[in-house]
Amino acid sequence: MMSVYVARFLEFFRFEYAFTLNALIASVTVGALCGVVGTFLVLRGLSLVGDATGHATLPGVCLGFLVAGSAKVMSVLLAGALLSGFLAAVLVGVLSRGPRARTDASIGVVLSLFFGVGIVLLSYIQNSSTGAQAGLNRFLYGNAAGVDFAQVLWLGGVALVVVALIIVFWRWLVASSFDPVFARSMGVPVRAVHYGLLGALSIAVVISIQAVGVVLVSAMLIIPPSSALFISKRVGRVALFSAAFGVVSGASGAVLSYVFEGVSTGPAMVLVAGAIFTVALLFGPRGGIVTDIVRQRTRRHAAEVSHA
Amino acid sequence: MLELLVEPWTWGAWMWRGMLAAGLVAVPCAVLGVFLYLRRMSMISDALAHVALPGIVVAFLLSGSVDGPTMVIGAASVGLLASFMIEGLSRRPNVRPDAAIGIVFTVLFAVGIVLLSTLVRDAHIDTDCIVFGNVLAISDLTLQTLAVVAPLTLIAVAVFWRWLAVASFDPTLARSLGIPVTALHYGLMSAVSITTVAGFEAVGAILVIALIIVPAATAHVLTDRLGSMTAVAVAHAVISTVVGMYVSVWLNCSSAGAIVVVGGVLYLVAFLFGRRHGVWSRWMRQHRERGA
Repeated sequence: MMSVYVARFLEFFRFEYAFTLNALIASVTVGALCGVVGTFLVLRGLSLVGDATGHATLPGVCLGFLVAGSAKVMSVLLAGALLSGFLAAVLVGVLSRGPRARTDASIGVVLSLFFGVGIVLLSYIQNSSTGAQAGLNRFLYGNAAGVDFAQVLWLGGVALVVVALIIVFWRWLVASSFDPVFARSMGVPVRAVHYGLLGALSIAVVISIQAVGVVLVSAMLIIPPSSALFISKRVGRVALFSAAFGVVSGASGAVLSYVFEGVSTGPAMVLVAGAIFTVALLFGPRGGIVTDIVRQRTRRHAAEVSHA
Repeated sequence: MLELLVEPWTWGAWMWRGMLAAGLVAVPCAVLGVFLYLRRMSMISDALAHVALPGIVVAFLLSGSVDGPTMVIGAASVGLLASFMIEGLSRRPNVRPDAAIGIVFTVLFAVGIVLLSTLVRDAHIDTDCIVFGNVLAISDLTLQTLAVVAPLTLIAVAVFWRWLAVASFDPTLARSLGIPVTALHYGLMSAVSITTVAGFEAVGAILVIALIIVPAATAHVLTDRLGSMTAVAVAHAVISTVVGMYVSVWLNCSSAGAIVVVGGVLYLVAFLFGRRHGVWSRWMRQHRERGA
């Protein structure tokens, strides 16, 4: 029984089939990019904006489908996703600055409105066309095995550009995340940095939806940075660890979904990310539950010894 | 015109059944949503709606059936577990409260999807139905479950109205008055989970969120008192249900999606043109003040 899984595990790494290598690279790219972008989202209290943006790509994907006429022209679908995701992220900001607004409710309103439009379009497509919509369902839960090599090159290139931009504007991002008022007085264009980050978020989401799916993409933006916050509080290190956790989750997700038949890549990645978070929550050097207990006990012990 | 309104009712029972089911989900959701909104916990409904999926799967694994009552109990217990986990996580100093919500529900949802695609592949749980819902093909059992759950939820809210009101606006005062604030919180969480699950088959997990958040957000732009806020939220729920059902019949599209889109449009109208707090009237007031 076990040996079947071991055999499939080894088979994956022989890369006999091109799609296993493509899936691995795509998932690792997703993990790294989401880890870095997510760090700033979590630090700014925008975690759930990632959730809204993920869901909000659905209407864009459907509109792209209606324009292109089939799910095969991936670029049009993803362009639609990028547009509607960014629009949603901006709209959350507009609504939460409006009358009597609450940020959490604004996120919920935008998420449900966009997803509602997406569902309407999806059902319209499913009712009208004949079988051509087959490719759309995989956007819900993701399937890294469906990514071909040309797409992998695209994903990798775009991810590299986004990470490079984040490194270039690092100081501005950090300053405006921790103290926007101070940052503005230092001449940082806070508003522009904010929209830049929302743009990076939309790109990260769009790159991820093929591998992770629209429902779970927020997990890859929220969980790795939250785990990294148990290791350090310096933004650079948090981003590095977060990217590393993202890479590990992405890679293991791709492998697990190959080894266990029927398991989609997205949920598998999220489960690994969740396991890493649990370990960090318990044993993280900064504020882990077990770490804190042990530290208190040694401190009490030291106090007793010094008393005696 | 009149014909367009009347005709769908003559096509069989599904129109009134669908409208009844959607209404039975929408009204309790709107009422519970008001209290979640006031507590700044709207996004908890996002978590609880997603978490209902693993709840149903676990209930199926334990009992071997997906009947109304088993489903409701299973999902409500997983919902309670999730809200315990969110509470516990957000107490840790280096976990952000909004991140806590995002962590808990995505992991539990992923567990549900994985279980669904491995252990319970042969169970008759339709993921599409759970995510999107299907108002027009609602089963008798779901309708019966809704007919029990919806009135019970409303009665519970009515009974605890004063407690809920005080605890939502001022938890410290509520505690000093001897109101069991924590028990009330988890009571509210269970009510949301139960309503969510019961509403599953009708509108789908993700769109339950819309029915909880959007009416309260609309009502808050239009009113200043708890009673009238609840009334407006319920009115919003009823109007978007009825109009959304018609739209979905006319356009031959998903009813749940149409209901949510109509609700969202109503929100945007209130946001822009609300008499007291809308963007437009606020701008006009400022303009007039500046002119005077």
